[in-house]
Amino acid sequence: MGRTQTVLFRVMVTFAVVMLSAPTLVVLGASVTSGNIIQFPPDGFSLRWYNAIVGEQTLREAFIRSVQVAIICVLVSLPAGTLAGIALARYRIRGEKLIQVYLLLPFTIPLIGSGIGLMLAFGQAGVLGSLWPIGIATATINLPFMIWAVSSSAASLDPDLELAAMSCGAGPVQTFFSVTLPAVTPGVITGSLLMFILSLNEFLVSLLLVDARIVTLPVQIYNSIRSIITPDLAAVSVVFIAVALSAIIVLDRLVGLEVFLKSK
Amino acid sequence: MQHELPHTVQEHASETFGPVPAVSAKAVNMRFGNFYAVKNASFQLEQGRFLTILGPSGSGKTTLLRMIAGFLTPTSGEIFIKGEAVNAVAANKRAIGMVFQKLALFPHMTAAENVAFPLKMRRFDARTIPDRVLQYLKLVRLDGLENRRIHELSGGQQQRVAIARALVFEPDLLLLDEPLAALDRKLREEMQLEFRRIQKELGVTTINVTHDQREALVVSDRIIVMNNAEIQQNAAPIQMYRSPENPFVATFIGVTNVFSGKLVKRVGDTASVLVGEQELSGQSRLGSSNITRFESGAAVKCALRAEQIRIAREGKPLDKTDFSFTGRIADVIFEGERQIYVVDVPGVSADPIRIFHHDQDEFATHHIGELVHVGWNTNDMHVYAGIS
Repeated sequence: MGRTQTVLFRVMVTFAVVMLSAPTLVVLGASVTSGNIIQFPPDGFSLRWYNAIVGEQTLREAFIRSVQVAIICVLVSLPAGTLAGIALARYRIRGEKLIQVYLLLPFTIPLIGSGIGLMLAFGQAGVLGSLWPIGIATATINLPFMIWAVSSSAASLDPDLELAAMSCGAGPVQTFFSVTLPAVTPGVITGSLLMFILSLNEFLVSLLLVDARIVTLPVQIYNSIRSIITPDLAAVSVVFIAVALSAIIVLDRLVGLEVFLKSK
Repeated sequence: MQHELPHTVQEHASETFGPVPAVSAKAVNMRFGNFYAVKNASFQLEQGRFLTILGPSGSGKTTLLRMIAGFLTPTSGEIFIKGEAVNAVAANKRAIGMVFQKLALFPHMTAAENVAFPLKMRRFDARTIPDRVLQYLKLVRLDGLENRRIHELSGGQQQRVAIARALVFEPDLLLLDEPLAALDRKLREEMQLEFRRIQKELGVTTINVTHDQREALVVSDRIIVMNNAEIQQNAAPIQMYRSPENPFVATFIGVTNVFSGKLVKRVGDTASVLVGEQELSGQSRLGSSNITRFESGAAVKCALRAEQIRIAREGKPLDKTDFSFTGRIADVIFEGERQIYVVDVPGVSADPIRIFHHDQDEFATHHIGELVHVGWNTNDMHVYAGIS
């Protein structure tokens, strides 16, 4: 790399890092203000707004609900995404291309569209008002992430591994649980954590599926913004970011981030 | 045609009143659409023998092995293991151990867990498993490394784990799907002898697949050569080397010169042929059944091994050979234990003739451009039917 290129490269990287981290830094700064108005740079330093959100029951309940939704989402997408991911990567399936396109649909359809569709479907079924439809909804729209994580693990699997298990005397079910599944575990962990974070953060679809009794955290924050904007919202956001960050750290510890970044 | 007799007689005998062969195939075909991967394959393998299926890539040897393993079902024909038809028996219900090309060891398990896996799947008494695993790790000389993960082992050690895993449940049959292909030469030769040792020690019937003719000659009791989906010859290594049944086998095993010519006449086992401007004679391998097809003028191929040609300096004619010609050295290739002379002999062959020279003291006595005498004996040249 020439000298000019090196300089240009550094400038671009710095710019990208600043742009990506600026919102987080602003929120982090605003959350530790000692004043009553949300602002950046903060007016003094205090953790009083963190204290305030701990005492705030609606926020705490909304947070717990969001975690519940995320857990339901993982429980639904884990078996579905794992099996689909392995099947798409390892076997020749009739209409494989079609299935792949179908699985991509959630990406191409605007969230508001799928949100309204899901709202109508769940409304017809008369199940709106509980948390599990939101879990299923977030699982549905984010499933491609799970499938990609698993199939990238499964694609690098030696196809002879399953034949080897068979020649050791393992039947199809034993082969799946003792050889195939352990081999794709990194992909399954990656996908599950990703699904957890995406579901935890999901705003638009949640907004359409919740009612006043079961608001999730992103919706709760949004509702609060519409009335008075106080620094406690910044504190909630920081907690939110911290949860997502810790999920990433867990991911790195368990399977390494390379696996996640290599997922197609 | 003495070399053909024992083979046929033996096959016939075991079919009627001999012991049940460990493996046999009867007219096995494997077709994918219009493409035959294996065509009309029949053979028998006696208990305790080491068979190598040898052939170039795409010859169908791996397909044949996978049908024996149960991963593929023949389109037609039947495979028998210990006399029982197994086409309908799933791979995991056959008592066959297999070592795969890329080994296919389970990466999430230790060496010992890999070896214990077939015992667990085959419901061996759990109390006997640890001892048995140790016993087989000892057999492959891996005792002390049982708790290593697969990626913590060297290539050679991984090979040994794969062998132990394939043998630990005392299978009726051991299959080797080119497991040595990826190793460097030194390790490969070491492992070839290791396979041989273990096979002899346990007496397990073994089928090995390879494209390495040297490996086939070193390790096997018997060799099947395949090409274009068909079995070309089934014979013991020495017989295979000395009496190849067709030009393909002759050129695939060893370094062989092939001349095209025309048949002049055939008297018993000797065929006279016209090669270039020369009339030569050689061992007839035209077959005995169809004499009329091989009238004089029929196209033939003559095969002559590089080590059976003598070479001498010009002016010192060869006196112990049936034929002798004058040629010019086109190239000298040094290979360590031997030297190859590439000699132009225009009267006999358009292509230069390759000749081995093993005598260390005489090395490099001939130089490029030198005139030499080359010669060979009638018995060393084999005459096959050629395609005109």
